[in-house]
Amino acid sequence: MKLLLYAGLIFLLVPIQTTILHSLSPFGIRPDLCLVAACLIGFWTGHVEGGAMGGLLGFVQDLFSGGTLWLNTVTKALVGFSMGVLIKHFANLTSQWIFFPVVIFSLISGMVFLVFARGAIELIGVVQHLSIMLVPQALLDGMLAVVANWALTRRIAQTDKL
Amino acid sequence: MIGRLRPGIVGGPNVRRFIIVVLTIAVLVMVFLPRTAHLVLQGIGQPFAEAVAIPLKGLASLDYAVREWWNHYVALQGIYERNRQLRQQIQILQGELNRYREQAQAAQRLAALLRFREHVPVPTVAARVIGRNASNWYQALILDKGQNDGVEKEMGVVTPAGIVGQIVKTTASTSIVLLITDPNLAVPAVIQRTRDEGLVQGIAHEQKVRMKYIPPLSAVKVGDMVVTSGLTGGFPRGLLIGEVLKVEKGPGDLFQTAWVVPSVDVQTLEEVLIILQARPQEVREMLETPLGSPGGMMTSP
Repeated sequence: MKLLLYAGLIFLLVPIQTTILHSLSPFGIRPDLCLVAACLIGFWTGHVEGGAMGGLLGFVQDLFSGGTLWLNTVTKALVGFSMGVLIKHFANLTSQWIFFPVVIFSLISGMVFLVFARGAIELIGVVQHLSIMLVPQALLDGMLAVVANWALTRRIAQTDKL
Repeated sequence: MIGRLRPGIVGGPNVRRFIIVVLTIAVLVMVFLPRTAHLVLQGIGQPFAEAVAIPLKGLASLDYAVREWWNHYVALQGIYERNRQLRQQIQILQGELNRYREQAQAAQRLAALLRFREHVPVPTVAARVIGRNASNWYQALILDKGQNDGVEKEMGVVTPAGIVGQIVKTTASTSIVLLITDPNLAVPAVIQRTRDEGLVQGIAHEQKVRMKYIPPLSAVKVGDMVVTSGLTGGFPRGLLIGEVLKVEKGPGDLFQTAWVVPSVDVQTLEEVLIILQARPQEVREMLETPLGSPGGMMTSP
């Protein structure tokens, strides 16, 4: 079941991100579905699966992106891995708190992209990118993670009852 | 918190340790040896991309069908269709007008330049836009044509109205085109009226482009047309890029910079043409001619 879910994520997440999500993006900002998925996998299954699946999802994202072929692979792997490590040390976190680490990881990953994709080193450029893209996208990622996590929690609770 | 999923797929502690070591090595190779990593990932990525392209094309068709249905039957029936036809006509006419302008100017230039003919017949292939870039960081389109159709990296992508961008990645059945509005793409260009050369580059978060390195004494002005110079970048000479919106030159600047509005609205593109040669014909001919022979790049006395 889990393998099927992972296969579904690998083969459907990027197509959704590149087609349907483009029509639904508010103000041209799209949430990074792969980053949210990597965070959730790290949160629910730990750092190893989080890192491995994050890397795979990032790799597929790289294949259909205009940038270099490793940037998403590395950042998503690190995000999934870090989420797993973080949750190991804060095991009592309630699921709504996932918002904050996701926002932070999204911001950090965005900064990495800013340096590699834009080569932005000027402070003015960074501030502009932060306000126009980084922060809105990070908030969107955080909110999406909370909703997805809430849905996942409910689903698992129902399965446990049965 | 409700109980987590068990990490059942990764197996025992030894397997997990092995995965962590492999992941760490992979990340280090990718960060410190990006070229090698790129080659390896490209090899591994082909079958992956092919598999992902199947649901991608399915979803793109669904998305296209829903949008078409919405535009045709829900929002302004008839008017939409008429508007679309008129816009298409305007784009074709703009392209033709630009071509005539180029032809008129070419006739006035030196005879030696005439062999670099403007309208070298270049083979093209039509492609449909099936998706947008997978992240917010690049402005790119996913096209439904790839290596099987003769598409290669560095080929130019155009519409009748002007240039769209350049192919940066290909798989067997898809390709990624980096748009002219992306800061990572630079195209050699020339101001049509003054023939001053420069480099057109995208601006982050803007649907405009910037033409840099225009000579300081150039008489470029608002409203001038900017066309490709044909030097590199997979585009023949004289393809329309856009219209100058603003010209800037700071007190200490060595060059002038022009802000250009692209002639193609890259946000609403649905079909494009891929120019099936990575280098312009005249550059190819020059490169293929042996050095020292008549017509070669360097003719010995």
